[in-house]
Parts: sequence; C-alpha cells; structure tokens
Amino acid sequence: MSGVAKGLPGTWADTHRGTAQPEQPGMMDARDRVTGKVDYVINMTLPGMLHAMVLRSTAPAARIVRIDTEKARQVPGVVTVLTGRDIVSRTDVRSHFGPVFRDQPVLAVDRVRFVGEAVVAVAAVDRDAARAALDLVEVEYEELPPVFTFDEALAEDAALVHPEPPRAGATFADIIVHSQAGSNVCNTFKLRKGDIEEGFAQSDYVFEDTFTCPAVQHVPLETHCSVADARANDIVIHTTSQIPFMVRSQLAEVFNLPASRVRVVVHTLGGGFGGKCYPNTEPLTAMLSRFSGRPVKLHLSREEEFTAITRHAMRITLKTGLRADGKVIARKSTCHFNTGAYADIGPRLIKMGGIGTGGPTSIPHVWIDSAAVYTNLPPAGAYRGYGISQAAWAYETQIEMIAQRLGWDPYELRKKNLLVNGETNATGEVMDDAHWHELLDQVAAKIGWSWPQVPQRNGSKVRAKGLSCIIKGTVTPSASTSMVKMNEDGSLHVMTSSVEMGQGLQTSMAILAAERLAMSVANVIVSTPDTAFTPYDQQTSSSRSTHSMGMAVTRACGGIADQLLNLASEALEIAVDDLELSDGKVRAKGAPDKGIGYDVLVKNQKGGNLLATGEYITGGGLDPETGQGIAAVHWHQAAGAAEVEVDLETGKVNVLAYEAAVYAGRVVNPVQAELQAEGNVAFGLGHALFEEMVYDNGQLQNGNLGDYMIASFEDMPEHIGVNCLEEPVLNEIHGIGETGLPPVMPAIGNAVFHATGVRITDAPITAEKVLRGLRALEAARAAGASSAGPGTAR
Amino acid sequence: MTDMRNQGDVTATGDGRLAIPAMLNGRQTTLVARPWHTLLETLRDQEGLYGVREGCGVGMCGACTVMLDGEPVSSCLVLAPQVAGREIRTVEGLAAPDGTLSDLQQAFIDHTAFQCSYCTSGFLITAERLAEEHPDASRDEIRHYLAGNLCRCGSYVKILDAVADLLERRRAGRTAG
Repeated sequence: MSGVAKGLPGTWADTHRGTAQPEQPGMMDARDRVTGKVDYVINMTLPGMLHAMVLRSTAPAARIVRIDTEKARQVPGVVTVLTGRDIVSRTDVRSHFGPVFRDQPVLAVDRVRFVGEAVVAVAAVDRDAARAALDLVEVEYEELPPVFTFDEALAEDAALVHPEPPRAGATFADIIVHSQAGSNVCNTFKLRKGDIEEGFAQSDYVFEDTFTCPAVQHVPLETHCSVADARANDIVIHTTSQIPFMVRSQLAEVFNLPASRVRVVVHTLGGGFGGKCYPNTEPLTAMLSRFSGRPVKLHLSREEEFTAITRHAMRITLKTGLRADGKVIARKSTCHFNTGAYADIGPRLIKMGGIGTGGPTSIPHVWIDSAAVYTNLPPAGAYRGYGISQAAWAYETQIEMIAQRLGWDPYELRKKNLLVNGETNATGEVMDDAHWHELLDQVAAKIGWSWPQVPQRNGSKVRAKGLSCIIKGTVTPSASTSMVKMNEDGSLHVMTSSVEMGQGLQTSMAILAAERLAMSVANVIVSTPDTAFTPYDQQTSSSRSTHSMGMAVTRACGGIADQLLNLASEALEIAVDDLELSDGKVRAKGAPDKGIGYDVLVKNQKGGNLLATGEYITGGGLDPETGQGIAAVHWHQAAGAAEVEVDLETGKVNVLAYEAAVYAGRVVNPVQAELQAEGNVAFGLGHALFEEMVYDNGQLQNGNLGDYMIASFEDMPEHIGVNCLEEPVLNEIHGIGETGLPPVMPAIGNAVFHATGVRITDAPITAEKVLRGLRALEAARAAGASSAGPGTAR
Repeated sequence: MTDMRNQGDVTATGDGRLAIPAMLNGRQTTLVARPWHTLLETLRDQEGLYGVREGCGVGMCGACTVMLDGEPVSSCLVLAPQVAGREIRTVEGLAAPDGTLSDLQQAFIDHTAFQCSYCTSGFLITAERLAEEHPDASRDEIRHYLAGNLCRCGSYVKILDAVADLLERRRAGRTAG
C-alpha cells in the first residue's frame, strides 16, 4: 500500500493543504438528525434476539448466601437465567474484567460491593417475560460492614472492599500502578518537583484549604446499550462505546479469543461524556448470548445508568506558599478520588487529576499525592474533564481565597502566576505554546471585570462577577490510525474508529479530508467504528480526536494526493511539481483549464480504487517516582468568567452571563466549536449549582431525572460568549470538547463569593448552602465581629 | 385523561393483547399492545418509529415527546390503550410525504441546533406546538416553553436561535402573504 505517512508528533505544517476551501456543513447527517433517523444501538434488533434484564444488589456490602432462580426459569419466554457462579463454573470464559485491574465481575460472585451491582441476569423473548422472571428470583444476603467515605475507607481497621488484591492485566502504556495491598487504596500517584519543604521555608505566606466535589453522573440521554451475538465462537457486539478497541481486548480476554474474532461495532452515540469509555454492559450481554445461544440486547434503564458509572467524588487539600510579591512558589496537594467498588479507569484518572492541581502556574516546588480509594459505592470512571474539573474547583477557588485574605485583586494575582513560554508546569514540561494570559484577559474584558467587585444590588438580588483559568492535559502516549479509499467516481471513504457522539467527529474528519484533497465535503463519507474493518484508534475521549485522528486522516489523504499527482503527471506528461489539487481535479499550475478529474484518474488506474493509510502516534511518559516527564503531547488551556445574581432571601444563584475562552489552535468546524463550548457551560453550570448524587447507606436517593437535576433551558445564562483562540502560525488543532468545562464551576463560585461574601468550598453551590452562609455572615456582623471577614459555609 | 368515547374501539386480540385503532402520522393504524405497555415502547417496537426515544422513563426529559391530538405529551407516561381513536404525530410525521422537511426541521439544520441529537425529536415536537400556539413568542417565552425538554449536550443556545428564527420566518411569511 502506498502513501503511508508516518511521523512523529508534529505540527500542521507537515500536512500542507490543498487549494480549495470546502463548504463547511454544521453536521454531515443533519437531515437524519431532524427526522429521527439516527441509528442508535437502541434501535437495533436481530432475528431471534432476546431481551436482557438485570437483578441488582440491594446491599452495599454483603455476602451472597443463596440465589434461587428456579421459579424464574419456569416463566414462559425465559431462555436463560444467569448468575456469577454459573460463569465461574465454566472453564472457557473469565468471570472478571476491567481496563486496569480485573476487579469487576460480569455478575457478582459470592459477594456484592455496591447497591446496583448486577447479581442475576435474565434473557427472555421479550421484556415482559424478563421482568416477570426477575420478580421471582430470590437472593439472600448477609450484610457486611460497608465503607462509603474517605475516612471510613482509609481507617486502619476499615473493612476491605476487595479482601483479595485485584488482579492486574494488560493496560494502557501511561498507567503507573502503585497499589497498596491490604488497604482500600486502589492506586496512588505521586509527583515531586523541587524541594517542597524548601519552598514553604522561602514562602512569606502559606495557606492550606480543603475542597470537595460530590459524585455526579454523566446522564447521556441515550443510556448504555449493547446487542451481542456470541452464538458461534466469534463475538459480534454492537455497543455504545467511546473506546471500541478496549471493548474488543476485554471481550477477547473474557472469552479467550484472539482479538480478530471479536468484532465491536459502534453506532452514533446519544452522548457519552466519558461514561461510555470502558466496558460496562458488554461482557454481560455477550455472556448472556453465549449461554443462551441467541443474540441478546441489554439496554439500561435511567435508574440503572445512574449506578453504571459515575464521576469521582473528590477531596483535595491544597497547601500553597507564596512570596510577598504574590508569586506562588510551593504547592503540596493531597487528593483523594472515590473510585467506588471497582477501579474502572480510576487508577489513571488520579494521575491527570493530581497533576491538574498544579494549575496553569509555574511553581518551582510541587508535591502531589493522589489516591483512588475503593468504597462501597457505584464505580467512578472517566468523565468529561477527567479529574480537572475537581482539581480546578480546588485551585481556582483557593487562589481567590488567598487573594481575599491578602486584600489583592484575584485577577492580578493570577496574572502574576500564569504560565508563559519557557516556564515549566507541574510535570516539568517547558511551555512553548502558552496562551493563558490572553485567554484570561479575553474573558475578563468581555465580562467587564473590575476590581474591587462591588456587588450591584437590586431588591433582594445582588450581582457580581468571577473568573477562572485552567490547564488540562490530553492522554499521552496515544495512537490514531486511519485508512482512506478514493472510489472510481472520485468520492472518498474515510475509515476511522473514532466515535461520533454528538461532537461532530465525522463532520470534522470530512472537512479535513476534503481540505487536504481539495474536494467537496459532500463527496466524503466518514465511517463509524467496526473493529473488524476500521483501523485502530486508542480512544474517543480526552479531547483528542480532532487533533489526533485529524492528523491521521490528513496524512492518509496525503497518500491519496501523492497517488493522484503521480497518475496525473503520467497522463498529462507534466512534472508532479508543476501540478496541484484543485476542486476535485489535478491541474497544471498556472493553467487551470489543463486538468484531469479524480474520477478519471481512479478509473484509468484500473485498481478499482486508491488506498492509503495514515498514522499519528505520540510519545511520552512520567517517571514513576517523581511524576516528571511528558504527561501530554500538548496542553489544553481555557478561561471562564461568570456573572451571577444571587437572591439574598432564598440563596438561589442565577448565572446571567458566561464568557468562555479556549485555546483551539485552529478551529475546524466553527459551529461545532461553539456548540461544544456552550455545552460545557450547560454541563458545568449543573455541577456548580445542583448536580450531586445523594446516598443514604450506599443507596442512591436521586437516581432519576425528577430528583437529579441537569441544566434545562431555564438554567441557562441569557448570554454565553464563546471565544476560540486560534494560532495561525502553528495552526495546530487543540481539542476543545472538555477543555472549557473545568473553568465553569470555580468561575461561578468566585462570582457568588464576590456577590455575597459567602465562600462555598464543597460543591455544589446550592441555595441552602448560600443561605446558611449568608446567615452566618449576618450572625457574625450582629455579634460585632467586624474583623470576621466573609464566612465559609460548609 | 383517556377520551372515554373511544374506549369501545379497543378490542382484545385473544392472546392477552389489545388492538388499538389510532391515527398515526396521518394514516389509520391499529397498535397492538399489552394493557401496561406505554405508547413509547409500542411506537418503537411495533411501528419502528425510532425517532421516539426513551431518556428517563418518568416524563422528565422530553426525549419521547409526541403530539397526541395536537398536544405534546411524554409518550413514556401514556399507556398504549389510552390513544384509542386519537391522533398521534411523531417526528417521522413532520416532513411532507415527499420528504420535504418542515420549516422547523430546516431551521434546526440551519442553526445546527443539535449535537448527539437524541433529544432533537422531542424538541421538534414541542417547538412545533409552540409555534402554533404562540407565534409571537419572545426568546424568554420560548425558553420557558421548551424548559421541559432536556439536552445534555447543552445545545440550548442554538435551539433557541433556531426556534426564534422559525417564528420570525413564519411571521415574515404571513406578512408577505
């Protein structure tokens, strides 16, 4: 195969563009999207397909004493009733899976670890029969002492969520495993830069504060769904996954098959937000198909989705030392991430979340300890922002608390500390494309930031503004590969395993392909993933696809371009150097009427089609002891500014306006970039003001969309400003899918503080907490404690 | 509430199911469902109308919104037998029979008022009724009217732009006419 373009991580410069700027649609399949025709996995049926339903644990920690499935098996229409013991008893399959540790059972084996864990699964001819059967299953539990909080889980005599150390297995290259057997610590990450004690010794001021965020859920409107056919030795599974190749490797392991015999097909997703990254419904659906000898569909209810995967609750303590001039010179952060009953990707997330607490600041002395902690709660995994939302909540709140204590302008304090080119971040990487100052200045100017913030009062309502600024890495090392074929009519197929989940991936890839080949976007089709046919992509997450797959696709199209130029050179008897691609034709430079269409070139070449592949592979890694090295191929950068109105009588916070600034490097699809940026505001606003999973003895109390609020139209600011910063010289694409999210929570929290004097350190900023804080302030004032300063509500 | 006049139209099929006559996207049809089946699952499983989607199952998200006798309802909260003798319109019934998109659908495309699009059908149905009921709605009124439809991707700004633009276009059309 010719035209293989392989290279080091580079800039856009090595992939020169064609001459025509193609028209840019908002979304390639827009028509399907407004006519109800998008083929989500939930629409799929197969002949003879069974419907699965799952009986879930009602105890947070318990030994399974007895399971009686006899009556359930008698229900007409029921084909298979499956337990964890049934799986363990078979020698040809494995009972556990997980992207790092193989700690999660396909179905609970002898023990349950959270309320909502799958215990018994039924596959029946329809949902009515499956539901009837579930009602007849009897499970007897002997409850064990559970652990829910960090303090409970880390106590010396704590009950262990996993008494046996979880089995490790093949995983991503960047994951560092430092687990602590005999404890509930699932994994730890450490970073040591400079000399932390020396840093504090040199500091004129040292502040220590603790911040928390609760677990939240992704709430994609499409819940997890898989349709598996494992009747034969091979497995074919259609599933809602952001990482089809991880599903493939995990199923290959569970079923003892070569990867080539597991085919994972992914359709357009109804939202992902990180919740569909790692195997979830897939092993169980495939297992049911294997046991029943029929294709099986498992589609989670909303209630099940809530406990399928969550965002880590976190507690971060930051000890920050500054010189008298405001320069931050030391930071010690202690981060705990509640990873729930199963590790999922927690062991990796604590790394990025931990590093994240260094902030967009050049700090010479940094000490970070980050831990994933097992508890008897639903598993936590990847989530849009990947630990950085929690980290930014901590450091962007603390910097304002420090400014307030010292009587400084928080904008100026940030300006003294934001990274510039030549400085190093927490992992010791030298910045060469730093834009934090521009981003912060942009949002400050747009929102009309001034200091001091004098709250504007209108009746019972007060208004003020707040700022934030964040740094975020992207998974490194990573790899994306693509294959393109040009057909005999000059149309182009782009094959990738990147997942379309609403971010407009297919459209972005089509735009980049059309641009490189100077052809119409309308003549480009971009595939969805099918691991039997589409080439490898590591994962559709981490805001990496437009950058990484964009590079791979552009390189592959470069291979096609070379072939077209060579074919045209022969046909026209003009040197390649004197030819160019333009509007679907290869033309002689300076004589545009002398040209030959791609369709003619492909037909005449007699190979049926032109083929080429492209790759983009990044390198990096961190020292396991110091956390120094390369954590990200490049750094995502964003700032946010919020204007809020707080009702002093109710404590209710309304976000009136939000300015988002994000470093995009180069915007590929302007409409999609805006949508992603606006979506981040909606997402972060929910996290800031109301989203929280509430548990009582491990039982989720608000696992439905009546009790768990997500942002609706009425919560949205009247104004959202989107500022995508481009860098035309480097012209390097930076992903923005999640980059704009982490600034939202602290920007809103800081604005609430400036409006009311109430500082909330435990998200979300509910009306109740604000009101309690206001009353505490009043009480302090009434007591004549004029020096008490603004209160802290807990 | 079920329209009692039409109850007599429901007949038993003999296998524990009910035959339920209804107008569906402009054609007379007979839905077959068990008494406890929702309109949502009946439209999907039996009629293949996959534009109607479950998001929450409890009438909170609006993803399964359909028009029932001209009013938007959450089809997850309607039992199939309740629609006997009534008229149902889903997203599949918005475009003209020849496939020409409605002006509302076109406005959503023009503004790219979607990301993952799972919620789009529900928004279109609710917005269609809004446009009929409140042709002069302000942006604030549009926001309020559509607040029962959730979009987790947060495409609200573009949805608002699309609906406001649609109302504007229809007003301009009326003036011109």
